[in-house]
Amino acid sequence: MTNIVHARSLQKSYGSFQALKNVDLDIPEGSICGLIGPNGAGKTTTLKALIGLCDVEGDLLVAGRDPRVDRHKLMEDVCFIADVGILPKWLKVSQVIDYVDGVHPKFHREKALQLLSTTSIPSNKRIKELSKGMVTQLHLALVMSIDVSLLVLDEPTLGLDIIYRKEFYDRLLNDFYDGNRTIIISTHQVEEIETLLSHLVFINAGTIVLNAAMTDLEDSFTEVIVSPELRSAADALHPIHERELLGKKSYTFEGVPRAELKQFGELFTPSVADLFVAKLKDANHG
Amino acid sequence: MDKFALNQFLTLLKREVLEHRNLFVLAPAFLALLLLFAAFWISKQFPRDQLASGVAYLAMLFDGLSPVDMAPVFMIGAIPFVFLLYTYAFVYLMNSLYQDRRDLSVLFWQSMPVSNLKTVLSKVVTIAAVAPFFYIAVLFGVYLIAMIWLTLLGIQFDIEIVGIGYMFLAAVVSLVFVYLSAIVTALWLFPSVGWLLLFSAFAKRTPFMWAAGVFILVGFLEDFLFGSQYLANWVESRANPNQYVIFSFGDLVDRLFNYDMLFGIFVGAILIAGAVLMRRFTD
Repeated sequence: MTNIVHARSLQKSYGSFQALKNVDLDIPEGSICGLIGPNGAGKTTTLKALIGLCDVEGDLLVAGRDPRVDRHKLMEDVCFIADVGILPKWLKVSQVIDYVDGVHPKFHREKALQLLSTTSIPSNKRIKELSKGMVTQLHLALVMSIDVSLLVLDEPTLGLDIIYRKEFYDRLLNDFYDGNRTIIISTHQVEEIETLLSHLVFINAGTIVLNAAMTDLEDSFTEVIVSPELRSAADALHPIHERELLGKKSYTFEGVPRAELKQFGELFTPSVADLFVAKLKDANHG
Repeated sequence: MDKFALNQFLTLLKREVLEHRNLFVLAPAFLALLLLFAAFWISKQFPRDQLASGVAYLAMLFDGLSPVDMAPVFMIGAIPFVFLLYTYAFVYLMNSLYQDRRDLSVLFWQSMPVSNLKTVLSKVVTIAAVAPFFYIAVLFGVYLIAMIWLTLLGIQFDIEIVGIGYMFLAAVVSLVFVYLSAIVTALWLFPSVGWLLLFSAFAKRTPFMWAAGVFILVGFLEDFLFGSQYLANWVESRANPNQYVIFSFGDLVDRLFNYDMLFGIFVGAILIAGAVLMRRFTD
């Protein structure tokens, strides 16, 4: 499988703050990749680097192009929705459609109009008159009407209520994703996208702490609830994380064969949220 | 340039007009209404016979005269509009590569397959040719209304109105000169255009303070280190309207093809290239 994103030793500093520290990143073509990390971890910097909106050091290829020198050509194949309402507030809905139609060679106007006809967004309103949910719906309708190979979403549902969030991801899967296109999503609401993902990247303090296919997680990570008398034996296998759970103790192991863990009890594959916490604590404890 | 690239550039120009419709359309239209209202009000202050003789005098004065020769007279009518245009041009250039970074809509604009060169050039073309076009269109409307009004007065007072037709033709030719002057002025002021765009693209806040501050600092350093005022003198030397206003078609070649003009365009192009480079990254 080829990688649509190939990055080696990416570095980015803002003054004395190092936002990215030697980031290596490969994202396979056709995947739905979740980029998960706490605030200030470097998610937005990474995504902005991928689409040529911030300068980074290191080797970087996205869809076969270097975004730093070829941004405008790259953006024929990549769409981006940011975590803030970035559609120009002074434009009318019909004008933003005209604009994208005028500048993007792969935009399908009829599809955008058809997608918008299923919403309650009026075409004669200015963006500033729309609710945040409507602006996100509009932006999604625009990018879904562009025939691109990569969609980059930076906290796209931030500030939306549950109905808009669910509708957003339903549309993304039903109307955009076809198995060949790649989607990179950065979000805090891990639980909402967990079932969509085929690839997972954790980033913390500018460093990638996990970069794996979802199918590999079951082989690599195991969660087990250990009874008190077996805890010392479990500790000896160096769990990456442990937590109290309803009076019992849950351990998360990385790279330990399941056969070795069976003795402790029922085995689970940790959820993305639990794994995220485990990997971050593991990374923070070195 | 292929058809799509041309259409893309025209879309960028349309975006500028939509975003700045207050500066480019509403402001001159409001000024025009104000001037027309003032003209009507003043005319009402004159007794009927004086007004009739005034119209008759104008019609007689322009009858048979060459519109091209008389056009400079009507360029005076454009002066308030030119002042308004260049006041707004300054504000426009200062904010053109700054405002979208401030409100974060730059993330949307940059997510489209439009090069920074095209984006910056669209700002230059807008201020050099598109904005003046709207001002000229409004002025045309003013002259048209004035001509209709004078014609009606002429008919009412039973005056020979052919001269009013000559007046209108001269006024229209004057608009061509004003428009050409606007384009030549933009080229003449290319270093200023480039300087403002450079700091509009560079400044994280208050681009005007940067543009003015760096200019004053460079001038001060030149004076302090070398005891010369070359920069200040050069800027001052480019302030004479005779160097860029077109009063006849013959002026056009003289104004465009001379060392000072070409050197200014060269300096402006370097500064605009700097603005394009600054525009590359949003962080």
